[in-house]
Amino acid sequence: MAMKPSDSRWLDWINVVLLVLAGMIVMTPTAWMILSSFKPSYEVIAFPPKLVFTPVIENYVTLSKQTPFLSYGINSLIVTFGSTVFGLLLGAPAAFVASWTRITWPAVVALMARMAPGTLFLLPWYVMFRQVDMIGSYWALILTHAVITLPIVIWVLLPYFDNIPRSIFEAAQVDGCSPFRIFRRIALPLVSSGLAVSAILAFVFSWNFFLFSLVLSNSQTKTLIAASFNFIGEGSTNWGGLMAAATIIALPPLILAAIVQRWLISGLTLGAVKG
Amino acid sequence: MASITIRNLVKNYGGVTVIPGLDLEIADEEFIVLVGPSGCGKSTLLRVLAGLEAIDGGELMIGDRRVNEVPAAKRDIAMVFQDYALYPHMTVRQNMAFALEMRGAESAEIASKIEEAARLLDIQPYLDRRPKALSGGQRQRVAMGRAIVRDPQVFLFDEPLSNLDAKLRGQVRAEIKMLSKKLKTTMVFVTHDQIEAMTMADRIVVMKAGVIQQVGTPEQVYENPANLFVASFIGSPSMNFLPVDIQADGLRLADGSLLPESLIARPSGDHGKLTLGIRPEHFELVQEGQGLAADIELVEPLGSDTLVHVSAAGQEVIVRVSPDLRPKAGQRIWLSPAAGKAHLFDPETEIRIDGTGKAD
Ligand SMILES: Nc1ncnc2c1ncn2[C@@H]1O[C@H](COP(=O)(O)OP(=O)(O)OP(=O)(O)O)[C@@H](O)[C@H]1O
Ligand SMILES: [Mg+2]
Repeated sequence: MAMKPSDSRWLDWINVVLLVLAGMIVMTPTAWMILSSFKPSYEVIAFPPKLVFTPVIENYVTLSKQTPFLSYGINSLIVTFGSTVFGLLLGAPAAFVASWTRITWPAVVALMARMAPGTLFLLPWYVMFRQVDMIGSYWALILTHAVITLPIVIWVLLPYFDNIPRSIFEAAQVDGCSPFRIFRRIALPLVSSGLAVSAILAFVFSWNFFLFSLVLSNSQTKTLIAASFNFIGEGSTNWGGLMAAATIIALPPLILAAIVQRWLISGLTLGAVKG
Repeated sequence: MASITIRNLVKNYGGVTVIPGLDLEIADEEFIVLVGPSGCGKSTLLRVLAGLEAIDGGELMIGDRRVNEVPAAKRDIAMVFQDYALYPHMTVRQNMAFALEMRGAESAEIASKIEEAARLLDIQPYLDRRPKALSGGQRQRVAMGRAIVRDPQVFLFDEPLSNLDAKLRGQVRAEIKMLSKKLKTTMVFVTHDQIEAMTMADRIVVMKAGVIQQVGTPEQVYENPANLFVASFIGSPSMNFLPVDIQADGLRLADGSLLPESLIARPSGDHGKLTLGIRPEHFELVQEGQGLAADIELVEPLGSDTLVHVSAAGQEVIVRVSPDLRPKAGQRIWLSPAAGKAHLFDPETEIRIDGTGKAD
């Protein structure tokens, strides 16, 4: 049924209002967090919040003096990057094979593992990694974080692979291509936006995940997000410092998303594959 | 360049048998067209040949190599898909080079083959475009080009023209035919377009429900259909079928009119009720009072000739006449089958039983 122009104008307006609402819900705490990190501590909890103030970097200075924030950040990067790469290396072929063979139960198992509370894994892992003396190693964190990244990669990529017309794979077969080469030369390039989406989501979820690091890391390998828990309740809560820490933690995923937003959008809308 | 031998081929999907034992010999350099109604297993047979589907029984030979267990990648067959299946992320040139690269060909050889195919198909201007930036007809050519550069043993086509408009289809049809003469490669072409089948095939294979009904040249299949199915499937509009009773003095039709027996090569043996088949173009107009009385109900001028829907012998019959005749609805005309052109079928077995020509 064709829509009348007036109807569609109404829909446009509703759309704009909804977007503004959603933007406010998401952006208000973020903006508040960033602004507060540049306020002196006593102003952070002032009510009503002051929008006009003289920014100070005092919080960041204190933060870097009090804690080895930079090295926590590097730990986080190593673990997150490692687990994302690991998730992609295993997850992309897994998703391709699941799509190709239409056997998806392993992917469902992977998803169930992701949906289970992380504490479920903690105890066995702690015991296992202790037996091989890996507690506190980066590898322990990278491997365990793959529980986060692998299901994301598989489930983001599966519909991308499903969306490639089967005849394209068949043409490649007839053209003399082995399954492995079909994966590398045909399938992977066709899901590049899906790879970007899954990599970012995996990165962000892995970056934000703190539970495993609380237990499996030591003072040398602690991740940023796990370390930030130390700021809460250490005597009086340092709100300004906490906001500065939160801003730094939130930064990498935000920057990453900004860099790849073009792929994110084209990827999330799919259909990019159809020639 | 190879012959194809199919012996007692069986293909099931799950519990459903799609091809229940099929035999076919395709000669080297032959152009075979597979036709049949939708779902009769044409694509399935083609995919089995390509190695994209495993078979459940029988034997498949390409040249003198048994290929039952040979994967698609190793069969040296090229296939043009209905949706062309071009690689969207590669340019036309890369699409065409892909199979050669897989085979490990030298880049100079690849370049010269692409050059040659591009010239043959007139696609030089698009070589550096992606498929997305091509029209349907251009994509079709690229798909052909991708097949040609391979220089394969066999070409397989699955309805490659069905996405083109009527004019382009006619043009590409002629081009493929010319190409096949030039390339001298065995071709198996699936279509459900009769004109494609009639114009391109060395031999037509008519299939129904996974079973071959007839194999023959376009003329054989058209002039001497093996059974009622082939007779009604080939030719447009379809052959007319009238119940007749063979009597001592001739063929008695349902309305009591009598056709002289001399018109038809009488089948040997004893027959009672049969089905008379006459193509629309195989009627002759005869003098008033002779042959079959027919009342014109509808006239469809096609330009080159005119289709007349008449009511004759108690049913609707379609007759193709010259437009000069200027028939009018409501007129009565008298018709007789052209000598030697009508056929008799056994209504029980559906097999053609008149004496004209062998089925194949
Ligand atoms: N992958 C499959 N699984 C199950 N049944 C299938 C499969 N592919 C085809 N079939 C069935 O096999 C039969 C033959 O299919 P096929 O595609 O060969 O027909 P076709 O002659 O090519 O028809 P069309 O002219 O419509 O393309 C059909 O009944 C179809 O439903
Ligand atoms: Mg088909």
